[in-house]
Amino acid sequence: MKVTAEQIEKLYVFTRQHYVEYYDLQTELVDHLANAIEEQWETNPKLTFEEALQIEFKKFGVFGFMDVVDKRKGALSSKYNKLVWNELKTFFRLPKIIGTLAAIGIVFYLLKFLQQDVLIVQMTFVVLAVSFFVGIFWLSRKNKKNHKKTGKKWLLKEIIFGYGSFTGLMNLPIQIALHIKGENYNDWALLLVSFLLIIMALGEYIVLVLIPSKAEEYLRETYPEYELIENM
Amino acid sequence: MKNSQLYKGSLTTIVMTLLGENGRMYGYEITQKVKEITKGELKITEGALYPALHKLEAEGVLEVEIENVDNRLRKYYKLTEKGTTETVNRLAELEDFIRNMQALVQPKLDTI
Repeated sequence: MKVTAEQIEKLYVFTRQHYVEYYDLQTELVDHLANAIEEQWETNPKLTFEEALQIEFKKFGVFGFMDVVDKRKGALSSKYNKLVWNELKTFFRLPKIIGTLAAIGIVFYLLKFLQQDVLIVQMTFVVLAVSFFVGIFWLSRKNKKNHKKTGKKWLLKEIIFGYGSFTGLMNLPIQIALHIKGENYNDWALLLVSFLLIIMALGEYIVLVLIPSKAEEYLRETYPEYELIENM
Repeated sequence: MKNSQLYKGSLTTIVMTLLGENGRMYGYEITQKVKEITKGELKITEGALYPALHKLEAEGVLEVEIENVDNRLRKYYKLTEKGTTETVNRLAELEDFIRNMQALVQPKLDTI
């Protein structure tokens, strides 16, 4: 006996009811449950669909699917961090490193000449931080609209377009801005600050522009079913 | 999982070896295969298997394929090139472990 298409739909609903929001994970769990139910029917054909489902669900333990969801989040977050890190590294290799070093140099001289005007330096940090939050907000709104259209959530997509794990890092420019005073810093301190500013700007560019622009490519690579479903 | 503490560290090696031998497999198939090989002695729990598969996938050790089977989408896992080399290393490591454990435990067993 095979699980019917209608029962497959029921299984999708069941995973959603048990806090699996993401379509990619739902699909895998639905197939798993369906296989297990069919296996049970082989030994005990009298079992109803619901009974067999309950027996299988119990095997996932008291926390149900929660552990699987959490670990999946962890795995994909580290994949995302790796993507960001790899992109960042390209800015420190030829040819891009020329631009990066030039930018650090320009910021260094600007800071050297402007350090008396502390407000300008502080504003640069604040603008960086604020633009990041605005960018994240804008991205996640765009993603929400798209989600409403398709009705499906993809975990990696949520990470790319939403709770970028770099949000916490944005505390750093704010702290630096608060601690800058209108006094003469030595060149090393200025160089360090210039370096940090450029890294932050690059990070923003990667998280807000570069990776979202390649999102489709990453999603297709992670989810072979992505194209299939989104074009349905 | 039976004696889960002892088996826990070897779960990924078990999965990778199975995939190396069988080509591509899906989650449920892996649990069944392990049960079959160990004659039901070792049961991989769902709660441990999927996180392990997802971690290996994110590390680039495994890649996935999707197929429509019996009204539903099925996700198959298979070793990447990196995964194949990694499997050889892990197996060697596991064999060392088994040999050392035997050396450590065997003399005591003999005296019983």
